Amino acid sequence: MTDRMWRVLVAAVVAVSAVAGAGAAPAVRFDRNIKVGVVDTYSGPPAVFGNDALNGFKLALQEINRDGVHGARIEFVTRDEKFSPEIGLSMARELVLQERVDVLVGTINSATALAISAFAREQRVPFIVWISKSEDITGAKGHRYVFSTGENTAMAGKALAEAMARRGFTRFWLGAEDYEYGHRITNSFWKFMKRAKPEATLLGQTWWRTGEPDLVPYLTQIQQARPQAVFFGTGGAGMANVLRTMKVIGFNVPTAIHTAIDVTVLRPLGAAAPEGVFGTTDYLFYYPDTPANRKFVQDFQAAYGGPPGFPAFHGYITGYFIAEAFRKARSLDRDRFVEALEGLRIPTPVGEVEMRGCDHQAVLPMIFGVTRRDPRFPFLVGGDLVTIPGRDVMPTCEDIRRARERAQ
Amino acid sequence: MVNGRIVAGLLLAAGLAAAPAVLPPFFVYLLALVLVTGLLATSLNLVLGYGGLYQFHHGVFYGIGAYIAAVGITRLSWPAWLAFVAGPLAAAAAGLVIGFFCVRLSRLYFGMLQLSLGSLVWIVALRWYPVTGGDNGIHGIPLPAALQTLPGAYALVACTVAASLGVLWAVVRSPFGLTLQAIRDNPQRAQVMGVDVRAHQLAAMVLAAFFAGVAGVLYVALERSVFPNMLFWVLSLEILVMCLLGGWFTFSGPVVGAAVLVGLRTLVGRYTEYWTLVLGVLLILLIFFLPEGIMGHLQRRWTWTRAPSPHPAAAGGTRG
Amino acid sequence: MDAGALLGQLVVGLSRAMILFIVSAGLTLVLGVLRVPNVFHGSLYMVGAFVAWSVAEALGGHPAGLWLALAAAPLVTAGVGLAVERLLLCRLYHREHLMLILFTFGVMLVLNDLVKLLWGPTYRSLVPPPSLQGAVTVFGVALPRFNLVLLVAGPLVAVGLWLFAHRTRAGKVSRAAATDRDMVAALGVDVSRVFALAFAVGCFLAGLGGALVAPTTSITLGMDHSLLIDSFLIVIVGGLGNLWGALVGSLLFGVTQSVGLLVWPQFAIAFPYAVTAAVLLVRPTGLLRSAW
Repeated sequence: MTDRMWRVLVAAVVAVSAVAGAGAAPAVRFDRNIKVGVVDTYSGPPAVFGNDALNGFKLALQEINRDGVHGARIEFVTRDEKFSPEIGLSMARELVLQERVDVLVGTINSATALAISAFAREQRVPFIVWISKSEDITGAKGHRYVFSTGENTAMAGKALAEAMARRGFTRFWLGAEDYEYGHRITNSFWKFMKRAKPEATLLGQTWWRTGEPDLVPYLTQIQQARPQAVFFGTGGAGMANVLRTMKVIGFNVPTAIHTAIDVTVLRPLGAAAPEGVFGTTDYLFYYPDTPANRKFVQDFQAAYGGPPGFPAFHGYITGYFIAEAFRKARSLDRDRFVEALEGLRIPTPVGEVEMRGCDHQAVLPMIFGVTRRDPRFPFLVGGDLVTIPGRDVMPTCEDIRRARERAQ
Repeated sequence: MVNGRIVAGLLLAAGLAAAPAVLPPFFVYLLALVLVTGLLATSLNLVLGYGGLYQFHHGVFYGIGAYIAAVGITRLSWPAWLAFVAGPLAAAAAGLVIGFFCVRLSRLYFGMLQLSLGSLVWIVALRWYPVTGGDNGIHGIPLPAALQTLPGAYALVACTVAASLGVLWAVVRSPFGLTLQAIRDNPQRAQVMGVDVRAHQLAAMVLAAFFAGVAGVLYVALERSVFPNMLFWVLSLEILVMCLLGGWFTFSGPVVGAAVLVGLRTLVGRYTEYWTLVLGVLLILLIFFLPEGIMGHLQRRWTWTRAPSPHPAAAGGTRG
Repeated sequence: MDAGALLGQLVVGLSRAMILFIVSAGLTLVLGVLRVPNVFHGSLYMVGAFVAWSVAEALGGHPAGLWLALAAAPLVTAGVGLAVERLLLCRLYHREHLMLILFTFGVMLVLNDLVKLLWGPTYRSLVPPPSLQGAVTVFGVALPRFNLVLLVAGPLVAVGLWLFAHRTRAGKVSRAAATDRDMVAALGVDVSRVFALAFAVGCFLAGLGGALVAPTTSITLGMDHSLLIDSFLIVIVGGLGNLWGALVGSLLFGVTQSVGLLVWPQFAIAFPYAVTAAVLLVRPTGLLRSAW
């Protein structure tokens, strides 16, 4: 071979190696484990939801940590906020400043979520909300560092309102717990109800203290007003009580409550839960009955002794969102994590779920149904199920932008 | 002796000033929280330990101070300085109103009336959702940039608490303070000597309420949030416990009590969720072995001569 | 607001008042005779509810299960109270109120955490036996059938306590000790035994209240909070140590809230406190005569 040919050959080899080298990215290894801080309620009636979410999260981590994320495992620590925004905020502060977590996750109380969200923005720590549903979390008060892997009150309110409107109810009474979630879900429901049926009338509204133990006087007063239908805006603290009281006094007015058909709500109540209550949720362990869902339910049941509810589903996908985002970001840097998480799509037991980029809200479907007995289970389930795709109930990116501008 | 106290005071001041540079951020926050809570407890002790009044719902004034500031900034667009001045003034006004009704009663009835009036305030904060945020409270309260950082907030807290404690110390030592203690020890004798018992007690309540309001706005500066829990009776009982734990016949006792409680909650709370069990056992042990509280006991050990005589009833007199 | 709705809410408020009465009667007994502001009275109420649940669960839905639970729970709380009194509290009677408040607050913290340790943080539900499930219509209002039990239990407890206080020797001595314990001691009566009995009865009533409320609500940590302050206010409004005062106070509380819902739903929970404040401003020692 001539000199010239050797030079060309060497140049070609060098060129090919450079291209190959650039295409195959160098392997990244994280030098420490990923630490997640979980703030949720683990005492009192809302604890069933917090525990469910944590169990789903742990199941995901078990699967993820088998291979790890760039050689790192995902660890977590939990803190009990006792359904109090005050305690939740101080727990979040401790997790960030003292435990130095990479990501904050939680909580069930919407007010706590908003308080922690403000703190997360200040500290530039990513915060993923997995049960709290106030639409303000990713809406008017959303920002770069907060995400939601659960449905929100805008989505649930729209789905429930349109379904109830289709059933022809127009004269309503609204009852709710007097806190962030109660106000948001009730306002959302009524806003969409008026849009679907402008002639709908509000006979009255009753607000009670969050977690009020004795709801008999409230429900009897509502029943005496004889509305055509009722909407209850109750959250983690009040769900059990309102459903139990409805059954005990034979509350015979058609009622709609968000999450009324979910297993986390219905299972602890067992036979004490009322039939015929309309509700929505974004996950059911028996519907859709796909192989992926069945496997998830099987694994969950084997590990925790009962079927997963919507919190478990959210916890599970949160684990995978975190893992995939760190994998895509190839770095433990929080801002890179945030950028990687935006627009990320992951496979889940019910299909692919996207983390919408414009508002950091996971795109989840709403399932509408009515509570009824099922011979297969010792608790009530949802029947007459109808699925509404997430995109049909979520606010548009334009809505979000305008809401955030107005809040400034 | 006096020199020792001044040296100790200077060391303390130097330590507090150096804290943000030396301690990790979480402990700076914790120290600030202890200072705020300590001021709150000391303000209670003005009427409790020095005044002998059963102030069972002192938290009301703390909450009012905080809420007025929070509502002012977020709903009425007040500048921060106005809110921080309005808070304590509103708390003092509340102290005047509630005090006016309460000082006519004695002992347990004083406390119970205060509890029911204070609970009414709590309910207003809890149910007036558009203004007070209801069960949520208000959070993410915007403050001037200097206060948004932890060192800035800490500086404000430390200076204000130091100044407030200084004022309270002077009040306790003043003729007014001595008269108050005389009323505590024997109201009938004080009355007979021409002292207007009710006016003194009312003045003490207003002062105590004012400084509780100061603690409230400092909380807002530190946490940038307010919560209806601040007005709930459980917190008031906790502040009471802080005073008793630390030593309610001493000036520094309440601050020590606050430090113990906040420390227990945060530091022990990280290792076990049953930190309240630890506190409960501690309190029971305290009653039997350290009835004068931590500082009360320490002060008795350090000085040969007793400080201003303790409440006669504590020495075993009749109750009721 | 029609008469039917008013009567209906009245009945609902009455059944809640019965629980308040049973618990407050216990507290007023303790405050009247022993002069101890028992801050852990609410915790015993909570313990009573949890114990009732455990007993009923253990008997696995047997119809007699609930009644056994209603009997067992108060005995447990009486036992706990007696143990605390005999071991610790009796040494503190000469101390001042604030020390007693501190002590009972400490016991409250310990008891609450013990409940959490023993029963865990999740809430429990107790279903009444089938004969007492569902509701009856009273004045057009659906009243849970179990609330009828409350409407019967309240007066029974009232009568029982009156008989105890006026027809038994122990009761009469307790009443005397409430007024003047030194005199009673001078007469040769063992005052400490009287105190122990009175305290045990008070704790029994707290547990009974908790057991009775268990089938109507979620049994959960923190259920003692609102009840405790309500009981204290009721006792003060009614007159310390006055049984009928506790009844009057409880009726005021229960009824003003439920009827208040028809009048001003948003602030109905304020009515009991407003009434209390009004009473204390006008008659500081309470509506009826108080022991001290």
